[in-house]
Amino acid sequence: MITLSHINMHLPEFSLTDIHLQVHTHDFFALIGPTGSGKSLLLEGIMGIMPFTSGRLLSEGTDITRYPVEKRRLALVYQDFALFPHLTVFKNILYGTAFHNISKNEAEKRFTYLVSALGLEKILRRYPHNLSGGEKQRVALARSLILNPRVLLLDEPLSALDPVFHDEARQLLKKVHKNLNMTIIMVSHNFEEVLYLANRGAIIKDGRIMQQGNIMSLFEKPDSRFTAGFVGMKNIMPYHLKRNSLQITGTPLEIFPPGPPDPAHQHVGIRPENILLHIPGNPVCENHFTGKIKDITSHGVFLRVQIEAQGVIFEAIWPANHIRQFRLEIGKTAAFGFHSESVHTF
Amino acid sequence: MKQMDLMGWLFLFLGLPLLLLLTLPLIKMTTEPSVAMLKETIADKDVVAAIARSIGLSLCAAGLAFTMGTPLAYLLARKELPGKRLLEGIIDLPIMIPHPVVGIAILSLAGKNHPIGRFLSDAGIQIMGTKTGIICVLLFVGLPFYINTVKSGFDSVPVRLENASRTLGAGALTTFMRITFPLTWRHMILGTIMCTARAISEFGAVVIVAYHPMTAPVMIYERFTAFGLKYSQPIAVWLIFISFVLFVLLRMLSKSIHPHRR
Repeated sequence: MITLSHINMHLPEFSLTDIHLQVHTHDFFALIGPTGSGKSLLLEGIMGIMPFTSGRLLSEGTDITRYPVEKRRLALVYQDFALFPHLTVFKNILYGTAFHNISKNEAEKRFTYLVSALGLEKILRRYPHNLSGGEKQRVALARSLILNPRVLLLDEPLSALDPVFHDEARQLLKKVHKNLNMTIIMVSHNFEEVLYLANRGAIIKDGRIMQQGNIMSLFEKPDSRFTAGFVGMKNIMPYHLKRNSLQITGTPLEIFPPGPPDPAHQHVGIRPENILLHIPGNPVCENHFTGKIKDITSHGVFLRVQIEAQGVIFEAIWPANHIRQFRLEIGKTAAFGFHSESVHTF
Repeated sequence: MKQMDLMGWLFLFLGLPLLLLLTLPLIKMTTEPSVAMLKETIADKDVVAAIARSIGLSLCAAGLAFTMGTPLAYLLARKELPGKRLLEGIIDLPIMIPHPVVGIAILSLAGKNHPIGRFLSDAGIQIMGTKTGIICVLLFVGLPFYINTVKSGFDSVPVRLENASRTLGAGALTTFMRITFPLTWRHMILGTIMCTARAISEFGAVVIVAYHPMTAPVMIYERFTAFGLKYSQPIAVWLIFISFVLFVLLRMLSKSIHPHRR
């Protein structure tokens, strides 16, 4: 288990402030945040490349805050994979074994396993500049995994890859996590990729942790406007409480939540994919409205549709075939709604 | 490669006088002496010794620049030192100081009136009129070329590669030797070439510190003042020719290292 306790890092133009995190053994933990939020800096701090100003970093109960990089038994795979350009794939993979107490037999055994598991047999004699993005990633993973680190740190592992390699690379990371029973901490700005890979995570903004926990709870129950926006929540609006409904501020529109909201909450949010289109006069949800279609944008297999109802513009995501099935057109009226369970307040 | 367009021809026209300024005097000088004269000059033991001394001492100075300048260049490229800009300015100083001034400055430090001079004298090290003195001034004038070239080499190696090596368990010195050094080797060869080239051509500082033992540029000057152009030119031609061959070999060596790198 990795524990970060009240970690601070003060740099001239940026600070990490009071970071408190727990990464459990075998977690696939995601540090998520927009560009410049400090997530990669935090990863480098955990690795020991950037020293923390204060706070403690524990690995399996041992305080490693002041340990030098090479003694932490952690491994970091960089965004651009940082393969050594003057060494072949073979030598890149074996590079770290010389600095660890690994017997020749054991190193050979791990090497053979990883080369086979990651499909590197045919590229062992190549230099990094002759590798594709996906191949580089696999070599970088093998180079780290051969050392059997306690925790594998991944800095934006998919962002340097061509989109064609994304799916393959995601599956590879999932396989590595599952088959090797690894603890992984991954930095990402893409919540979609985090949803696919991670089981737990933390959202970071301006050097502070905004929310942490189970990935699905981050996705479904964001506790701030920023987090909600970051995890893809749309239709975020201020409200005031009116008996058992939420009235959207400045409009007559009322929304029925699943239960009484937290009195401290001020905003309501509804995921665009939770807004359902239905046949007029036959509502299927507790919250149902009729509105005018303001805009339709095609995204290939789905449509992003804006509908105005009672002075509120809702954004919905619907399958592309709805355009024919419901004869959607800009300016036409449509009946839509959403279940109370889809209403989140924060 | 793009074909020459109108702008290319215009720029060539503007640059042509410079190319002529560089090449014409050298062509004239190297073609002026007869083959017989060149043969006679190279048969002169004093000439051979002066050229060998110039090249040998310049390589010694470059060797010292490599040994001590490489760590300094690394520090300048990687670490935030207090007064770093000032230090970089000091390293560049020899490029702009008139070279006789360099000789005078080193002599004033090495004289018996200065503690360093007295210390060197007590240790049996003479600067005035010795090869040690010549190496000192050659190192002085060549060092900026070595440091700047190698520093740009270190700058071109991403810090991430060094960090990656550290994350894989290598210590800082091991990382330097196994990652940074092999990736900047070509810059070090280039820096050595630049430093040696600058040192071979040095006259002003050397003539102040050590007229004897005579280096090739001092001998060229001496022959010119004593016997005229005709007797100084063949030595210059041989010095240029031998230096040229040496530098071509060094460049070939630097190209042959890590041919896989783009």
